[in-house]
Amino acid sequence: MSTFDRAVAPAPAPIREFRFPRINRRTLDNGMTVLHAAHGSAPIVTILFIADAGAVREGNTRAGLAELTANLLETGTADRDAQQIAVELETLGAQLETTVGWDAASLSLTVPTEHAPTALAVLADIVLRPAFITSEFERLRQEQVGQIIRRRQDPRLLASDVAGRFFYTPASPYARPLIGTEQTVRSLGQHDVEAFYHERYGPRTAALLLVGDVDDALLDAVNVAFGAWTAAAKPGHDVETGPAADRRIVHIVDRPGSVQSELRIGHVGLARHSPDYFPVTVMNAILGGLFTSRLNLNLREKHGFTYGARSAFAFRRYPGPFLIQAAVANDVTARAVEETLREVHALRDHGATEDEVTAARDFITGIQPLELQTTEQLAARLAEIVTFGLPDDYFDHFRRGINDVTPDDVRRVARQHIHPDRLAVVVVGCATDVEKPLRDLDIGPVEIHRIND
Amino acid sequence: MREKPVIRFERFVLDNGLRVIAAHDPAAPVVAVNLWYNVGSRNEREGRTGFAHLFEHMMFQGSQHVPENAHFALIEKVGGSLNGSTWLDRTNYFETLPSHHLELGLWLESDRLGWLLPAMTQEKLDNQRDVVKNERRWRVDNQPYGDWDEQIQEMMYPPDHPYHHSVIGSMADLDAATLEDVEAFFRTYYTPNNAVLTVAGDFDPAALPALVDRYFGEIPPGPPIPPLPGRTQLDPLLGEEIRRVVEQDVALPRVYTAYRIPPYGDSAFHAAAVAAHMLGEGKGSLLYRRLIRTGLAQDVVAYAFPIVVGAAILVTWTTAMPGVDVNVLETALLDAIGELRTASDADVTRAVRMLEASRLRDLQRLDERADTLSMFTMLFDEPDRINTEIERIRAVTTKDIRSFAERYFGENNRGVLQYLPRPS
Repeated sequence: MSTFDRAVAPAPAPIREFRFPRINRRTLDNGMTVLHAAHGSAPIVTILFIADAGAVREGNTRAGLAELTANLLETGTADRDAQQIAVELETLGAQLETTVGWDAASLSLTVPTEHAPTALAVLADIVLRPAFITSEFERLRQEQVGQIIRRRQDPRLLASDVAGRFFYTPASPYARPLIGTEQTVRSLGQHDVEAFYHERYGPRTAALLLVGDVDDALLDAVNVAFGAWTAAAKPGHDVETGPAADRRIVHIVDRPGSVQSELRIGHVGLARHSPDYFPVTVMNAILGGLFTSRLNLNLREKHGFTYGARSAFAFRRYPGPFLIQAAVANDVTARAVEETLREVHALRDHGATEDEVTAARDFITGIQPLELQTTEQLAARLAEIVTFGLPDDYFDHFRRGINDVTPDDVRRVARQHIHPDRLAVVVVGCATDVEKPLRDLDIGPVEIHRIND
Repeated sequence: MREKPVIRFERFVLDNGLRVIAAHDPAAPVVAVNLWYNVGSRNEREGRTGFAHLFEHMMFQGSQHVPENAHFALIEKVGGSLNGSTWLDRTNYFETLPSHHLELGLWLESDRLGWLLPAMTQEKLDNQRDVVKNERRWRVDNQPYGDWDEQIQEMMYPPDHPYHHSVIGSMADLDAATLEDVEAFFRTYYTPNNAVLTVAGDFDPAALPALVDRYFGEIPPGPPIPPLPGRTQLDPLLGEEIRRVVEQDVALPRVYTAYRIPPYGDSAFHAAAVAAHMLGEGKGSLLYRRLIRTGLAQDVVAYAFPIVVGAAILVTWTTAMPGVDVNVLETALLDAIGELRTASDADVTRAVRMLEASRLRDLQRLDERADTLSMFTMLFDEPDRINTEIERIRAVTTKDIRSFAERYFGENNRGVLQYLPRPS
């Protein structure tokens, strides 16, 4: 047995180069974009349809409409009812997933290669020829109301749903929950869904992404399935994303009996197109994007206040939130807020060390191949290209963009994009336990809200 | 029909008893390192529930040659991901790394297996105790329906069975844990002869045995593992219906059912896995059809726990739509489960196809591949089940499902747990 010094971490072996998979593009005659990429050796394909039909497109009085519309698509076509659609796809080994975000709505499935053309045809039937059956509309609307009621009872989801209202002006779609409110969803009619579908789903504002074991037969099938689609969807309009307030306010959303406080601390952040995307991504990794970030090492590993603390910039088409979150025990809620503010101030005032910046850069670039192990993961990157209009070779240059970030850049973007004096400090928890200590912190006015306010 | 992919691997055993699985696949410059220890909440003694999981946290606090916080930091700064998890039967630790950093993973894992105790302090224990208590608040005490698994385990396993209590444990028992407990637990269960190491992905297969031996070879084997506490034998059927009603701060009623079924590893368990998919997986499933399409419920779940001591359980749950009475929902749920007695070929085929496809999807990930190989080695000494298990699933017939349902899904073999909104 060879002897060696265990106290020294082993040196890396020579690095094996990683290249982002090649992305191929074609445009159908009707203007629909098709992106495809080969991936791995598994005999499967991920098929993802994506449309500019996310929640920013629905209008504030119709909050929840994007969700309801996308979910209704798979509940019936001219030729198939909801049960037939589900059984047909699942018997092929495919499970349809419908996802509605702020920027887009998507329907996706992963299927063994031999069944991919059949699954694609069913997917096209769902997207192109929805029947909008009244009984299904009513069932799904009621289901969405039920989900909203449940989210109110769950402190994590409640906190995430209400935070936007304290970050953004009421005119912004980001001020309210993506799923809608009980009132807006109850008020939706079937005509709203049909109108939204016709406005938002069309070949020029949609794309089809194919990843994995993609062969010519499948590419030919795309033309057959989607080539004759002629719907004319409307272009989207920009939306309001101004802040809710110009000063720091503590908002306690009272949840009597809570044994933990769900913290959501933040303010309006940045759009995906921000020229500071790379330095902000590195800066956030240092603040709260890693396990060994400053926030998690402080709140969890030093103080034991929480199971985990993290921060993120939600880069959306329009400026999404900068958000810090943690669930902390009642008796340390104010101290956790204090430590959070301390970390935010420290990063803004003093920046980060060379070592921290290097570690964050190496994490973000190094983890790229790990996050491309599945066809679904690569399809998600293709969806990012489509949603934000990024160049097809964007990810080939991603590592360089990150590696160019310097400690000076991090200091600059921390000062420019983090505003401690304008943070909304949202605390979903037991007001009886946390109000006084939060007032004693003296970090801004304290407002108490009831859950149904 | 294309050839079904086969996961190839080598296996060897170090002199100290560490079992090693090496699954080479150089497709991407990525490697997964995965360790299973044959210890979980089932091994906890009375008064120390939650300890196996608390101990898992202590494994990330540094060891003799790895400073505090360095374990996470060293892996994150090379672009790796890592975690650990504790369950009834096992505790696993895993990292996925850019493949040129494989040795870093082996070094970190071997150091905490061989040299954990010199780095242990009261301060670290107190800190992680607070973290875990906050994890319990987050998962259980501050979460609607959050204690369902505690309730179901209490109902379905007698007080002297190792599965009677949940993984997360009680606050009082977490408070009672001492440094002496950490030391004793480590010396008893964290030994090379009680572990399986899997390396999957991009590495040099010829060099791997020597590399593993370099890091793990000098760790001495431990004593034989003590038998599980309590009584592990169970009757195949519960023999009665056990009911509980819990009033909680929930918005909508929810109903759980649990059935005692043969343990994971028993040949009958494959029928249970197919039955669970027939019941709850996908919008074509029986429960979705009978409960959601009819407007009674807004979600359905069915899951056969792959656990090995005495008996496993198959659990279903469903949450009421606003205005639906809990007993109406329960009756509909029980009726839908009862339909498995007259299961159709089409429903069985749907479930089997979904299981086949989800295996292809899941095994794309090296961490999933490594974890599956560790599991089959640890539980059954049969890593090749990663390839053969699906054949046994395909062999399940409609007749098998019908007779399984006839035997196990009766009134005399179930627990029923209702959650009701607390009256205001």
